Amino acid sequence: MRIRYVLAVFGKEWRDLLSNRLLLGAVAFPALVFAAIPTGLVAFIQANNLDPKQLGQIEQYIANFPDLSPKLAAQGFIITNFMAYFLLIPAMVPMAIATQSVIGEKVARSLEPQLATPLEVGELLAGKTIAAALPAVAATWGVYALYGLVNGAIADPVLMRLVFSNVWLTAMTTLVPLICLFSVLLGIVVSSRVSDARTAQQIGGFVVIPIIAVAVAQFFGGQATFSMQQVLLGDLLVSGLIGVTVVIGSWVFDRESILTRLA
Amino acid sequence: MITVSGLRKDFKRLTAVHDMSFTVGDGEIFGLLGPNGAGKTTTVRMLAGLIAPTAGEATVNGHTLRDGSQKIRAITGILTESPGLHDKLTARQNLAYYARLYGLRGTAIRQAVDRYLGVVEMSEHADRRVGAFSKGMRQKIAIARALLHEPEVIYLDEPTSGLDPAAAKTVRDFVATLRSLGRSIVVCTHNLDEAERLCDRIGIMRGTLLEVDTPSALRRRGRAATVRVELNGARGAESFVDLLAGLPFVTGAQVQAAGLVVELDDPGHETPDLVNALVGAGARITSVREEAATLEEVYLRLIGEIGERDADK
Repeated sequence: MRIRYVLAVFGKEWRDLLSNRLLLGAVAFPALVFAAIPTGLVAFIQANNLDPKQLGQIEQYIANFPDLSPKLAAQGFIITNFMAYFLLIPAMVPMAIATQSVIGEKVARSLEPQLATPLEVGELLAGKTIAAALPAVAATWGVYALYGLVNGAIADPVLMRLVFSNVWLTAMTTLVPLICLFSVLLGIVVSSRVSDARTAQQIGGFVVIPIIAVAVAQFFGGQATFSMQQVLLGDLLVSGLIGVTVVIGSWVFDRESILTRLA
Repeated sequence: MITVSGLRKDFKRLTAVHDMSFTVGDGEIFGLLGPNGAGKTTTVRMLAGLIAPTAGEATVNGHTLRDGSQKIRAITGILTESPGLHDKLTARQNLAYYARLYGLRGTAIRQAVDRYLGVVEMSEHADRRVGAFSKGMRQKIAIARALLHEPEVIYLDEPTSGLDPAAAKTVRDFVATLRSLGRSIVVCTHNLDEAERLCDRIGIMRGTLLEVDTPSALRRRGRAATVRVELNGARGAESFVDLLAGLPFVTGAQVQAAGLVVELDDPGHETPDLVNALVGAGARITSVREEAATLEEVYLRLIGEIGERDADK
C-alpha cells in the first residue's frame, strides 16, 4: 500500500467533509450532547444540597466511591457512568461519514474514474477509512478531555482523576479507535449493498445497540464504570469483528464488483 | 499501440463481449460504434486495466492486461460515460486530486491543471465548485482529467456529449491534435456523424466486432457505389441509358428526374471514363457527384442483421 495515494484520497475526503456543514454538525453534536447531560447533572448537584432520602435511593451506586463524600460520590457516579455513552460517538459518527462518502461516490458515479488511475482499491478504502475515522476519534478525545477538565472545575479535581483514570485512558486510546474502524468498515460494506445513505446508516446503526446494552446493564448492575478487564475484552471483541468485516469487505470491494455494481 | 486478440468477458452467465480482435496504431483514432449493451464499455474497461478478461489477451503499449493492469492504468486516460466529478470540490481541486492519483508531484500538478483548464477553456471557472456546473462544463472538466497526465492511450466515451457545437469542435480538434502527437485513441460513440469526422477506422460491434474499416470503406459496403450525373440540354436523360448499358464498367443505370444514377464498381477510377463517354455522345453535364451509403445506413443494416439473426435463434 502506497502512503502517497492513501494521503491523496484522505485529502480529497477531508476537503469534501469540510465543505459538508451538515455532516460536520453530525460529528460535533452527539459528542457535545453526551458530555453536556452528565455535566449539567454534576453542576445541578453542586449548586443544590442533596436530600438524604435521595442519597438513600442511590446508595448502591455511591458505594462505588467509599473514599468520597456522598455528594461527590453521586457526582462521581454520574460522570463515570455516562462515559460509556462516549463510545457511541466512534460508533455513530464514522458510520455517517463513511456511508455518505461511499453512497455519494455511487450517486456521482465517481468511483470508476478513480479506479481507472493507478490507485488500488485498498488505498482508496484506506484513505476513506482514515478520513471517516479521524474526525470521530478527534471529537471523542476532545470532548473527553473537556469533560474531565470542566467537571473537575465545576465540582472537585477528584472528578477529573476519575475521568482520566487508567481504565478510561486505555479505553480512549484503544477501544475508541477500534470502534471507529469497525464502524467505518461496516458502513462501507453496508453502503455497497444499498442505494441511499439513510438506509445504510439505519442498517449500520445496529452497531450502537451492543454499546447501549452494555451501558444500561452497567447502570442496572450498579457498576459505576468499566473495569480494565472489560475494556481489554472489548478491544479483543471489536478486533475480531473488524477481522470479519475486512474479510467480507474484500469480497464486496474488489475492483470488478465496484465497477459492475457501484460505479 | 493496442493489440486485442480473442478478448472475452463473461459476467456469470452473461457474455458481454466475445472474440474481440483488433489493433489501434500509434496516432490512430479508432471508433467503437454499437447500440446500448453492445459491450463497448466492457471492452474499454478491460483495455484500461479496470476489469480482467475471461479469455483472450491484449497488449497496450507492450503491457499485457494480465500482468500490467496498474502500468496500463498509469499510461491510460479515460473519459467515462458519466463525468463522475466530486461536486463539493472546485474544478481545480478535482483535477489536482486526479493529477496526484496519476503520479504527478509538486509544481507538475499545478502546471498540468492550469494547462488543461486552458485547453478546455475553463480557466475562469477553475475555483468554482463543479456541483454548480452545467453538463457541458462538467464534460470539459472530465476531458481535462482524462488528459492531465499526458496518457499514451486514451479512451473517450461520448466525448462531445452535452457540449455546444463550438465546444464540440474544440474537443474534436484537440483529439485530432492528440492523434498527431502519436497517441492511440479509442472513441466510443452513438454519434455516427462524430465517428465519421473523428475516426480513422471504425469498428461496429454488438457483443463482438461485426465490421472494421475506414468510414469511407464502410459506406461503400453499405450499397453499390453510384454516381449521379445531372444533365442540361435538349436530349433527355433516357436517351443515354442504352449507351451506359454498353459500357463494361457500368453495373446499372436509371433515370431520375433530369439526371442519371449510374452504378459503378470503383467510382474513384471509373467516373472520368463515364464522363468522357457521355460527353462524347453529346451529353451536356452540369454536375457529377458520387453517392455512397451513409454510415448510418451501414450501421443500421449491420445491427439489424444481427438483431434478426438473434431473433431467429
